[in-house]
Amino acid sequence: MSTRQTIRLTVNGKSYEREVEARLTLADFLRHELHLGGTHVGCEHGICGACTILIDGRSARACLTLAVQADGADIITVEGLRNRETGQLHPIQQAFVDAHGLQCGFCTPGFIMTTLELLGENPDPSDEEIKEALGGNLCRCTGYQSILDSVRLAARRLQSASAA
Amino acid sequence: MAFDIPTRSDQLPTDAPRFIGKAVNRIEDPALVSGTVEFIDNLSLPGMLHCAILRSPHPHARITGIDASTALALPGVEAVLTGDDVARWCDPCFTAPEGWGNTCLAVGKVRFVGEPVVAVAASSRYIAEDALELIQVCYELLAPVANPDAAMAPGAPLVFENRGTNVIQSRTYTWGEVDRIFADADRIVSRQFRWNRVGANPTETFGCICQWDLADNSLTCRGAYQTPRFMAIGRAASLRLPANKVRIISHAQGGGFGGKGGPRGTDIAALLSRKSGGRPVKYIEDRMEYLLAGGGQSWDRYYDAALAVKADGTVTGFKVRLVDDQGAGAEGYGTISAAKPLAAFTGNYRIEAAFYDLTLVATNRAPTYPYRGYGPPPHNLVLESLMDVAARELALDPAELRRRNYIRPDEFPYTVPSGNEYDSGNYAAVLDRVLELADYRALRETQAQARAEGRLVGIGVVSTVEPGVFDWNAYATVGVPGVGVPEGVKVAVDVFGNVTVAVGFNLQGQGQFTVAAQVVADYLGVDMNSVKVTTASTDVALPHFGQGGSRLGVAVTGAILGACDKLRQTFCRVVAHVMHAEPGQIELFNGRLQMKHAPEHGMSIAEVAGLMLSRSDLLPPGVEPCPEASFVWVSPNRNQPDDQGRCRSYLTAANATHVVQVEIDRCTGQVKILGYYIVDDCGTRLNPANVEGQLQGGVAQGVGAGLYEEYVYDPQCQPLVSTFVDYLVPTIHEVPMTVKDHLVTPSPVAPLGAKGCGEGAIHTTPAALLCAINDALAPLGLECRETPASPQRLWKLLHEQA
Repeated sequence: MSTRQTIRLTVNGKSYEREVEARLTLADFLRHELHLGGTHVGCEHGICGACTILIDGRSARACLTLAVQADGADIITVEGLRNRETGQLHPIQQAFVDAHGLQCGFCTPGFIMTTLELLGENPDPSDEEIKEALGGNLCRCTGYQSILDSVRLAARRLQSASAA
Repeated sequence: MAFDIPTRSDQLPTDAPRFIGKAVNRIEDPALVSGTVEFIDNLSLPGMLHCAILRSPHPHARITGIDASTALALPGVEAVLTGDDVARWCDPCFTAPEGWGNTCLAVGKVRFVGEPVVAVAASSRYIAEDALELIQVCYELLAPVANPDAAMAPGAPLVFENRGTNVIQSRTYTWGEVDRIFADADRIVSRQFRWNRVGANPTETFGCICQWDLADNSLTCRGAYQTPRFMAIGRAASLRLPANKVRIISHAQGGGFGGKGGPRGTDIAALLSRKSGGRPVKYIEDRMEYLLAGGGQSWDRYYDAALAVKADGTVTGFKVRLVDDQGAGAEGYGTISAAKPLAAFTGNYRIEAAFYDLTLVATNRAPTYPYRGYGPPPHNLVLESLMDVAARELALDPAELRRRNYIRPDEFPYTVPSGNEYDSGNYAAVLDRVLELADYRALRETQAQARAEGRLVGIGVVSTVEPGVFDWNAYATVGVPGVGVPEGVKVAVDVFGNVTVAVGFNLQGQGQFTVAAQVVADYLGVDMNSVKVTTASTDVALPHFGQGGSRLGVAVTGAILGACDKLRQTFCRVVAHVMHAEPGQIELFNGRLQMKHAPEHGMSIAEVAGLMLSRSDLLPPGVEPCPEASFVWVSPNRNQPDDQGRCRSYLTAANATHVVQVEIDRCTGQVKILGYYIVDDCGTRLNPANVEGQLQGGVAQGVGAGLYEEYVYDPQCQPLVSTFVDYLVPTIHEVPMTVKDHLVTPSPVAPLGAKGCGEGAIHTTPAALLCAINDALAPLGLECRETPASPQRLWKLLHEQA
């Protein structure tokens, strides 16, 4: 019952060519074929947002996307943010650490990827705009307040870095 | 040797703690934000198989036949597990009272929708799921037991036939002269309440990888385990293995909140490994499985309660009748969930007599489990709602009524009628501060204006006590044998002066690794960066319990302080020996072992450890070359319950008052939170950011339980909730950004004066919201006495009235 297809895609700047089953989800492909385990799966029906990644610059649910749909795509996952050589965290990641924007950390990669998209489009979002952007990500630990603080902090730091 | 566990941070061997009490960044976080933490589904083992589970579509049915031959023939399928295997190899879980527990797969009959019936191990999860579709199960349907009334009706079908009844437990507690108190009351206020099922729903579901070593007849389980040692004991019991042949390796967990439900999934994966010749088998529960039958459903309760009140507002008595629908068995230690309110039955108040009648029944709903708070959230909703009813009847402000009844600061330690002892607190000061923070008078003014405009605006002012640092002794009262609640750590210093802390639990989100590093760094005078906290697997870990009952921050602090004190004593002996002095002349201060009267003569921690490891010839007689120490901490001064369940059960009693203002939309029934204010007192705040996170997270779950979340069943016990589209976990739009402040009344009995603080907010928020809602509805003469106060429920209430 399996039909296999060859896909070519770029993930975190690295090119891959793989043969996959047509029914393989992109989340499973990233996690178990490419061993990029930071894209977490919380519900597998597109509600919780833990598996949020960027596909061609737009946020998407890896659990609701098939790997074959990502043929030709340019994907960024949470593993793509940290400096590969120094390990230095991306300013958004560092803001989540500094503002205590996480507890168990399972939903956090999804929040970070959503924030990456938001701040790319809107470097100085209002609280309402932040809430609107993060409204599709569930967090069961923090109650969101420190997440809001984290995004504000990240926005401030990224803005002052670009102004400098 | 005697060991000193400091109850104040100024008793630490340093002139000023550098980390304790500060919102230092968590050592857990760099890996978590990088996506590199090894949650269990990120791990693969060579030769690993994947499990999928076929679950019952029926709430109550006899299994008359299973044909899995086609599934077994599917390429990639390695093993199929059925009730026959389970009956042969496995016993029911031991977390239920005798006879009320389930096996991991149904044997003979199914008791709830979602109960596992057949499990498959295959080379991929995809193939395992394919195989499920090839399995034929024949059922003979039985009448379901839909609710407690039906369960207790004469001639009701039996969920557990060999028990002869659906009543799992029924008992009463009487504390003081309840009848006289109620007879003497000027006023009795009574109401019925319905708390519908809610649940934990951590963002990571349960998962594990189990491997049965057929040569050694031993089992290794890696997974999202909240209480590893307890899980090992349980698996030894259910899988009939010696406890020392079950090894649990706990991985970081994506949240827990009590409801991770590991036993069932672990037993299934373990037996599949046994059946497939010892290959490792991974089971990752999916969200639909979690919502149907996972470890998260909790508190399905019917209350009938009354307060005895004097004309001046003095509350003298409190009676509660609770009927708790435990679902299909009490495998989630359900009796404890009903008994937990004994630890703070009468809340913050000087209520002199109380009565508790609890009846726990089995139905064909999914079994219930622990969830954060473990009982008090619904209990506090009942007590605080009645306080508001009394205030309305007496025309008193609800804050004033509470103030008149608070236990006073000079009355601590205070023993409540149900037996527990509160260590300390200043409830009136907390109330004063939160009323000031909220500008309570202004809130009442805006409410009056809103009412004049015909808007439904209400205010809740709710106080609760959070029993912290649970001890098992209390639960002998509901037939659950104690297993002990120790917390053990090992603190080791290496030859370079780095410190490793080995604990028995793993990350779950509360930040206890960071707390451990803060405490050890301040005690030994090293930098937090040189401290590594690591999890020991159960075969080598010290006795431990882990997260649960608002205990671990306090417990791990106590364990580390004990281990550090042992190290200090050993180090003093070593240094005294090499300096030709007496141990009593040496002290540890700011990371140096030095002469008390000549501090310039001394050695650093690293130098002492290095000497011990490399120059055993310099050690005093009887000292091993081992700069390591272990300590197992338990709550001091606990005792056994008497025949009315009274005992010192929880070590600490934190408290909080929440003030919330809400508006109900008449057109939609939706509750909008206009403002939310919290002042709490959990003693010393070891890491204030951690405490704030616990509070705010508890508020979010309280908003869910109070306004949105509900496991809905139809009258035939079919669950109507199976996805996050139906089960409404609050998003950033629903959870208020709260305004917080705190007081610090250190615990006189707990390590560094810290009190348990993980559950207080969920104890309080649902009650605060319902009180605010009923304050809003009061002018209409309406009351909502059912949770969640969802838009449809409130709309119906408003609509039916119109």
